[in-house]
Amino acid sequence: MEEQQIPPVPQDLENFFNIAFDSATRTHLRQAAVWAKISTICAFVGYGITLVVAFIGRPEVTLETEGASITRTISTTSILGTLIAVAAGTFINYFLYRFAVSSIKGIDSMDSVGTNQGFSNLRTYFKILGICLIIGLCFAALGLVVFFAGLGAASRY
Amino acid sequence: MENPQEQSLLQMNLDYDGGHILHETVRWSRFLSIIGFVGISLMVLVFALAGTALAALLPTLAPSIAGLADLGTAIIVVVLLFVFAILGFSVFMLYRFSVLTRRGIDRQDQAAFTEGMKCLKIYFITSGIFAILGLLGNLSSLINLFLINRIHP
Repeated sequence: MEEQQIPPVPQDLENFFNIAFDSATRTHLRQAAVWAKISTICAFVGYGITLVVAFIGRPEVTLETEGASITRTISTTSILGTLIAVAAGTFINYFLYRFAVSSIKGIDSMDSVGTNQGFSNLRTYFKILGICLIIGLCFAALGLVVFFAGLGAASRY
Repeated sequence: MENPQEQSLLQMNLDYDGGHILHETVRWSRFLSIIGFVGISLMVLVFALAGTALAALLPTLAPSIAGLADLGTAIIVVVLLFVFAILGFSVFMLYRFSVLTRRGIDRQDQAAFTEGMKCLKIYFITSGIFAILGLLGNLSSLINLFLINRIHP
């Protein structure tokens, strides 16, 4: 009788099942999640305070001539910038908060689905941070190109 | 006493989905940590080359820490080096998390995986301490604002 060939199990797949969330790993992961939660709560409270300061705080620049229009422009730009920064920060930190909540719940109930959800949120958090960083680096590179192009043009004239 | 088989049934294992998700998490965290190393190195370089000019501009650039300018250049340098060292340590922990977790999954190394999770914990503890300090800074600016409003209503 012909011997049946058993396809080899991919190494990665096999490895996943041999890694356990033992007591030490669970403790480390739980503490990481707790500190991540503290970090996000501090960030959310900080964003609230930043908004209060942006709305209540008055601009320090006051000019007599055309003062009203200049002061208002500075104030509006500052509030808009703060709103954008707070919205972006809240969006990013929400995923870190979800990581903390899901991981703690998953570890406490020994539920690997909950832990996976937590890791999925951590992945999204790192991914968004990475994409923001790439966009920021692109803008920085563009700024440098424009700066050096300006320098080159200025030296010609 | 629990036998090993019973113990293995009771404990949580990393399944295929979890492993796949962790692989991606680790990839992004490694990218972030490498960019972090480059960023911190650039900041140290900028402060080393243009430190005096930046110290003079400190009240304009960061009004909340303008009081540092009165303390003298040496103390500013020490404070900045301390902050860069802590930031570097935090980024190093993120890098170690990515390397060790990846090694743990790929080589079936439980010890490396656990060490990776420990590094993630240290990274988040550092982030948490920075977040608490940031919150205290925000609170001080809020208190300053109310004090200014009370003095000049």
